Amino acid sequence: MRLVIPGGPGRSAAAGDDRPVSKVRSLGGAGRFLAHLWRKSSVAGLAVYALGLGGVLGLASADWATRGGYPFGGVQVGAWTAWPKAGAGNADPYTRAVNARRGEIPLAVGEGLLLTASVDDQGQALDATCSYRVGGGTPPARAWTLTVAGRGPRDPGRPAVREGFTSTEVLRGADGRFSVVLAPDVQPGNWLPSPRDSGPVRLALRLYDTPVAASVGSLDRDSVPAITRLGCAS
Amino acid sequence: MRLVSLRFVYATLIGLVLAGIVHIAAVLAIPVLSEKDAVSRARTSENLDHPQPIYTIATGDEPSPPEAWLPIPDPAVAVGVCAYDLADGPMRVSARTGPLSLSLAAHARRGAFYAVTDQAAVRGALDLVILTRAQYDEALADDDENDPSRDVRIVAPDNRGFVVVRVIAGLPSQRPGANAAVQSVSCTTDTPTDEPAGKDAGGKPAGR
Repeated sequence: MRLVIPGGPGRSAAAGDDRPVSKVRSLGGAGRFLAHLWRKSSVAGLAVYALGLGGVLGLASADWATRGGYPFGGVQVGAWTAWPKAGAGNADPYTRAVNARRGEIPLAVGEGLLLTASVDDQGQALDATCSYRVGGGTPPARAWTLTVAGRGPRDPGRPAVREGFTSTEVLRGADGRFSVVLAPDVQPGNWLPSPRDSGPVRLALRLYDTPVAASVGSLDRDSVPAITRLGCAS
Repeated sequence: MRLVSLRFVYATLIGLVLAGIVHIAAVLAIPVLSEKDAVSRARTSENLDHPQPIYTIATGDEPSPPEAWLPIPDPAVAVGVCAYDLADGPMRVSARTGPLSLSLAAHARRGAFYAVTDQAAVRGALDLVILTRAQYDEALADDDENDPSRDVRIVAPDNRGFVVVRVIAGLPSQRPGANAAVQSVSCTTDTPTDEPAGKDAGGKPAGR
């Protein structure tokens, strides 16, 4: 005790004596005060406490669950998550609440299907400083667009080079498959610039007029584009 | 002291149950009470004859205008909305198909209830009529047997909602065309046929 606490031995002893006593006294005082409070307004106080707890916890959890993306309803296909029910009339209440809060107009089942990816095929989060190859085939659709976005609003100073590719404009190989490189620096072929300097990014694949919107279960890993990490700037 | 803590535990449990109830009620109430949802925001377009553009594709150096309120729009798809209020009469949406793929989706507060693409067009025209159940029955009764209507009739779940028009621009050169194609769709309210005031004011065509 004397070795640990700096200062003179007398002082340390005095402090050692004093602190526990004051603590006990304050604890006892608080306990007595609380007990007094309980006894005085037992039912009313507890009711106020229960109501307050319920209101605060309930509203906070509802806010947390409906902020940002859809909490559930997604179908995992490889690294992608398909959201077939986001725009349906029988969507779950959380999806409806998220749409209402964001003012989102989701794609209806007859219109198309939205797939999002925030991780690569190895399960690592997509990052703006890394380069990725997004390639392969897509599920059958009349048209599709592959876009990238960072979180939150766009940087105002950043020049808008390209945010995505459409199925018409993407360059394809001889076998009809495509390969898009998402990278911060200029790349040959289909280059998709990173939307910002750093931070997480998200890919969105929108299939328009597609039969798979009604049967997402028919999608498998090979029918969606693969996302492979090529390297990261250290 | 033990009595107090036991009471305290009970109060906490009741609070947690209340929290669950409040949570469920809040999540269910958000779509009803929200003023930022798409149905409320689209209401400004109710009196327009053409869709109100809510996402115009950037053309050339022009960035997309700030009227866009879609959170994460597709940068290659032009979007417009037509709000309807079926209390004023059925809503007619007419689109002419062009070289670009176009889709129409009817939304109400609960979500989309109908969607169609231009592949369903008959001879290059896509005519949608959105009506209530009563208006639908009336339209059926008024139908001429020898000359059946070619409209696609859809019964809406609510009186209020909106129709979304999306046109995809596959190439950058098609972007102005896509923006124009959204504007060329017409959304009009059919004046009720049995209302004398509407007949006088609207000048109903006599050839029916």
